[in-house]
Amino acid sequence: MPAQSQGARDVVIIGGGHNGLVTAFYLAKAGFKPLILERGTQVGGAAVTDEFHPGFRCSTLAHTAGPIRPDIVRDMQLEKHGLRLITPEVCVTALSPDGRALTLYQDANRSAQEIAAFSQKDAAKYPEFQQSLAKISKVIGEALATVPPDIDHPSRGDLWSMLKTGRAMRNLGKKDMFRLLRWGPMAVADLVSEYFETELLRAVVAARGVFGTFLGPWSAGSALVLLIRAAGDAHPAGSAHFAAGGIGAVTQAMASAAKAAGAEIRTSAEVIEIRVQNGAATGVLLSTGEEIQARAVISNADPKRTLLKLTDPMHLSPDFVQKLQHYRGNGTVAKVNLALSGLPKFSALKNGDDAVLRGRIHIGHEIDYLERAFDECKYGNFSRQPYLEATIPSLTDPTLAPEGRHVMSIYMQYAPYKLKGDWDQQRNALGQTVVQTLAQYAPNLPELILTHQIITPRDLEEVYGLTGGQIFHGDLALDQFFTMRPLLDWARYRTPIQNLYLCGSGTHPGAGLTGGSGANAAREIVKELKR
Amino acid sequence: MDNSYDVIVIGGGHNGLVNAAYLARAGKKVLVLERRYVLGGAACTEEIVPGFKFSVCSYVVSLLRPEIIRDLDLPRHGLEILPLDGTFTPMPSGDYLWRVNDHGKTHREIARHSRVDAEAYDEFGKAMQAMCRFVKPILSMVPPDPTTLNPRELMKLLFIGKRFQGMSSYDKYNQVQLMTMSAIDFLDQWFETGVLKATMSASGIIGTFLGVRSPGTAYVLLHHYMGEIDGAFRAWGFARGGTGAISNAIADAAREAGVEIRTEAAISQIIVKDGKAKGVVLSNGDELYADVISSSVDPRLTFTKFIEAQHLPGDFLEEVNRYKFRGSSGKVNMALDGLPNFNCMPGPGAHLRGAISISPAVEYMERAYDDAKYGNFSKRPYIDMVIPSLTDPSVAPPGKHVLSCFVQYAPYKLRPGLNWDTEKEAFGNTVVDTISEYAPNLKDIIIHKQVVTPLDLEREWGLSEGNIFQGELSLEQLFFLRPVPGWAQYRTPIKNLYMCGSATHPGGGIMGANGRLAALEILKDIKGAA
Repeated sequence: MPAQSQGARDVVIIGGGHNGLVTAFYLAKAGFKPLILERGTQVGGAAVTDEFHPGFRCSTLAHTAGPIRPDIVRDMQLEKHGLRLITPEVCVTALSPDGRALTLYQDANRSAQEIAAFSQKDAAKYPEFQQSLAKISKVIGEALATVPPDIDHPSRGDLWSMLKTGRAMRNLGKKDMFRLLRWGPMAVADLVSEYFETELLRAVVAARGVFGTFLGPWSAGSALVLLIRAAGDAHPAGSAHFAAGGIGAVTQAMASAAKAAGAEIRTSAEVIEIRVQNGAATGVLLSTGEEIQARAVISNADPKRTLLKLTDPMHLSPDFVQKLQHYRGNGTVAKVNLALSGLPKFSALKNGDDAVLRGRIHIGHEIDYLERAFDECKYGNFSRQPYLEATIPSLTDPTLAPEGRHVMSIYMQYAPYKLKGDWDQQRNALGQTVVQTLAQYAPNLPELILTHQIITPRDLEEVYGLTGGQIFHGDLALDQFFTMRPLLDWARYRTPIQNLYLCGSGTHPGAGLTGGSGANAAREIVKELKR
Repeated sequence: MDNSYDVIVIGGGHNGLVNAAYLARAGKKVLVLERRYVLGGAACTEEIVPGFKFSVCSYVVSLLRPEIIRDLDLPRHGLEILPLDGTFTPMPSGDYLWRVNDHGKTHREIARHSRVDAEAYDEFGKAMQAMCRFVKPILSMVPPDPTTLNPRELMKLLFIGKRFQGMSSYDKYNQVQLMTMSAIDFLDQWFETGVLKATMSASGIIGTFLGVRSPGTAYVLLHHYMGEIDGAFRAWGFARGGTGAISNAIADAAREAGVEIRTEAAISQIIVKDGKAKGVVLSNGDELYADVISSSVDPRLTFTKFIEAQHLPGDFLEEVNRYKFRGSSGKVNMALDGLPNFNCMPGPGAHLRGAISISPAVEYMERAYDDAKYGNFSKRPYIDMVIPSLTDPSVAPPGKHVLSCFVQYAPYKLRPGLNWDTEKEAFGNTVVDTISEYAPNLKDIIIHKQVVTPLDLEREWGLSEGNIFQGELSLEQLFFLRPVPGWAQYRTPIKNLYMCGSATHPGGGIMGANGRLAALEILKDIKGAA
C-alpha cells in the first residue's frame, strides 16, 4: 500500500529547474498552490552552484544566463530576493593560435575598434550587423514570448498574436523582412561570411549558432539558433551574464520568489511515475512510495522523460509515442570545471590585460576549426581539437574562490552522447583534451590545476536527468522549433494526457536560461485551469 | 527592320527554348541566341567519340512539366522518353540493394534487408505522393511577394495556406518535417537499413553543397520524387537520342511557332538605356534590338557580366553577389567496349538498365561531404550511373556502351594550392577507381573517358561556379527568395529585362516551368502596356 498523501494538491510541478520555478511563481501569483517536487537536494536543475573543492564554488553546468527575460526578473523581483547580476563590459575574448586575441565589448563602437586591428572593412560592417541582428531578433523575441498558435484550429487569440507578429515583421521594412525570411534556414557560416572576412570574428559569432546543438557552422538552420539566442541578447557574439555567487544564485532567488508568492518546494522528492486514470493525470508517485494527488501535473522534465519514462506509454497513442521517440536530443556538450591556484597566463594577452578575461573566453578560431570539431562527433568521437567556451567567474565575483585563487568553468563541444566506446572510460581523456587545448593558449594552466570536475553527456543524463545529455531538453533545430517544439500540434504546453502539462526547455521557446518556456507555460496553464 | 524583335531570349537551354516557344505561340517575333554550337545548354547530346553519343551533362529526365509536353506537342516533334527501371546499389560486402518499379519485387528485396523497412517503404511512398500533390501546384505558380499588401499576392499566400490546411494532420506533419529536416533525420524515422537510407538520401543532396545530414535536404528529396512521366509518379527516364533530344524537340516546336534560333551567337552586353533594356550586343559587335530581353542564363552572368553596374540599384547587386552557386558535382562519361561486371551480381542483366548508385552507407555519403567542405573532391564519391545504350541502342555502336556517371562531391572551389585543370585527371581516376571496387573489369573496357569538372561546367556551359541548377537549391534560395528576395517574379530592376532560367522559381532540373512561367509574366506585362 502506498503511503497516504497529505491530501490532494491543486498543482504539482515535477522538477525545480529554472523553468519549473518560474511556472510555480506565476501559478502562485494566479492564486494556485503549486508544490514543486525536486529530486536533488537543492533546486536549480542545470542552473546550480556547487562547492566542488573546499573553498571553490562554481556554476556546475550553465555558467551564464540567457539572460533571464527582463519581464520575469521584474515580476519575480529577483533582485529583492537576493539576485545580483553581473554583466561585465567585456562580452567575449576570442583567442587565435597565432597569438592574437579579439575582444568584443557591449559597446558596438568599442568592439569595432578592436576589430579594426584585423580588418577595417569588418570594423565598418560590425555596427551594421549588430543593428540588423537587433532589429530582426526583436521580432523573433516577440514570437518567442507568445504561445505558438494551434495550426489546425487557430483560436481568435492565436490569430491576433499571429497578426501582431505579422505586423512587427512588416514594420521591419522590406529589406530586413526578407533578411529574416532568408536568414532563418541558412548556415550560420554563410551568414557571417556575408558580413565579415576575419575568420576569428566569423567563428566567434557563428559559435552562437551551434552552441549546445548537433549542428556545425555549415549546417543549414544554424543561423536560426543564432537568431533565437539573439532574441534574448542582441549582441552578435553574446554577452556574459553572470550572477554573484554563481548561476545557482539565479535559481535560489527564483525559489525564494516562488515561495514568497505561495509555492511550496520539497527537495529530495523524486517522482517516479505520473499517475493517469481515464486519460487524465491524477497525481504523482514518489520513489518513497508516497502518492500525491493533484488536479494538474506540470513537468519541468524534458518531454521524453516526462511522457516516455514517467508516464506509462500505454496512455498514449502509438503514433504519438513514435513521433516523440523521434524527437531528436543527442547532446554534444561536456563540462569541465577547474579549481586553480592562480590566474592562468594567456600568451595572447599582454601583462595587465587580464580585464578582457572577465567575459567569456572563446576557443575555436575559424569556421573550419569548428566544423572539423563537429565532424568527429557525427562519427561518434569527441573532438580532439574541441570548441571551448570558458569563463573565470572568480574574476568578477571573488567570493567564489579563496583569495588569489580562481575557478574556471569550461564548456566543451563536441562530446557526442552516443560515443563509440564508454564515457566512463573516456572521461579522463576528455578532461585531458580540454586542458591540453587550453594549454595551447595558456601554457601555465596545467600546473595551476588543484582539482578538476568532468561532466560527460552521460552524467548530464544520469545525474541531471537531461535525456540524451541534451542541455536544451531536445535539439534546437528548424524542425523542433516554435509550433514544432516538442512536436507539431503539441507546442502549447499541453500533452495528449489531460491535466498533464510541460513547462521545461523542451517547449517553445526553449533556448538557454531565459525562463521563457516556464512563463509561457504558466500563462497557458492558468488559462486552462481557470476555465 | 531586320535586326529588331519583340523578344530576344539569351541562351538556348531548355528553359530559354520553352520561354521562346510560348512567346512565339502568343504571336511574338522571337530570337534565341545560343553561345555554343549545339542547343540545349546543359541538356545536350554530343558525339564526343565517333559513334558514341553522350548526354554530356544532364542525363535523366522526370520533372519536365506535363503541360509543356502537351502545349508544345513535344512527342510530335520527336520527344520519346524511355523508362529507366529501378536503382541498383552494390555494397562492399558483396550484397546489394536493387529496387525496381515492380512493387512486389521491391518489397521482397527490401524485406531481405529488413522486414520492417519493407512495410514502411509502402507507407513512405504514399506519404511522399501526398506531399507531391501539395507541392506540385506551387511549382506551376509565380511566387508571391510576402512583403506587399497587394490583394493578388495575398490571395496566393492564402491559396497555399488553404491547401496546407486542407491536408490531414498526418500529411501536415510530414510536410513541415520535409521543409525543415535533413534527409537522413527524415528517413531515420521510417527506415533502419543503412544502404536504403543512403541511396534514398542521395536525391536530397544532388546539386547542393549540403550533406545528407544537413537540414533542408529533406525537401530536395521531394524535388526528385516529383518526377512524372505520362502521369506516373516518380518515374525517371531517358530521352531517345540522349538528353539533347529533349532540347531539340522543344527547339523544333519553337521554330514551328516562328522562333528564329542562332547558335554560336554569344552576346557580350545587354543594352540598357534610361533604365530599360533595349537589345544586346553580340561578341562580333553586331547589335540586335528588341522590346523585351529574356535571359535564361544565371543572375551572375546576366547582371554582373552583361550589364554595367551603374544601371542597377546597389542593394540588388549586393543580393546578386551573395546568391550562392557553389557547384558540388562533376560528370564522367565513358565510351565502353562492353558492360561493367559487378561482383555482387555478375554478368549482364536488368540491374544494369536502371540507375546504379554508389551509396553503400550513410557514413559513406557523409564522409564524401566532409572532404568537399575543406576543398577536396571526395576520395570516395557518391556516384549515380546509367548505361543509356542498353535501353537506347542508337547512342553507341553495336556491342558498345555509354556509361554516364554523375559524381558528387566535386567542389568548384578547391583548397588553396589545387586547381581543377591539374586535378581533372585525378578526379576522373578516382571515379573509375571507386566504381572498379564494385565492378573490377571497368578499367579494361574503357575506350574513352570524358571528365567534366565544375570548372568545365562554368567555362563551357556558362553555369557559374559549376552549379547545375544555376544556384543552390537551399531553403533560403527557394520560392519567393529565388534568385533575389523581392525579385522572384521573373522581372528585374531593369524594365523589359526578364529572367527565365533555372535560377528562378521553381529551380533546376529539366522542368521547363521557369521558362513557361516567365513567358506568361512577360505576356501579361506586354498586354498591360498595350
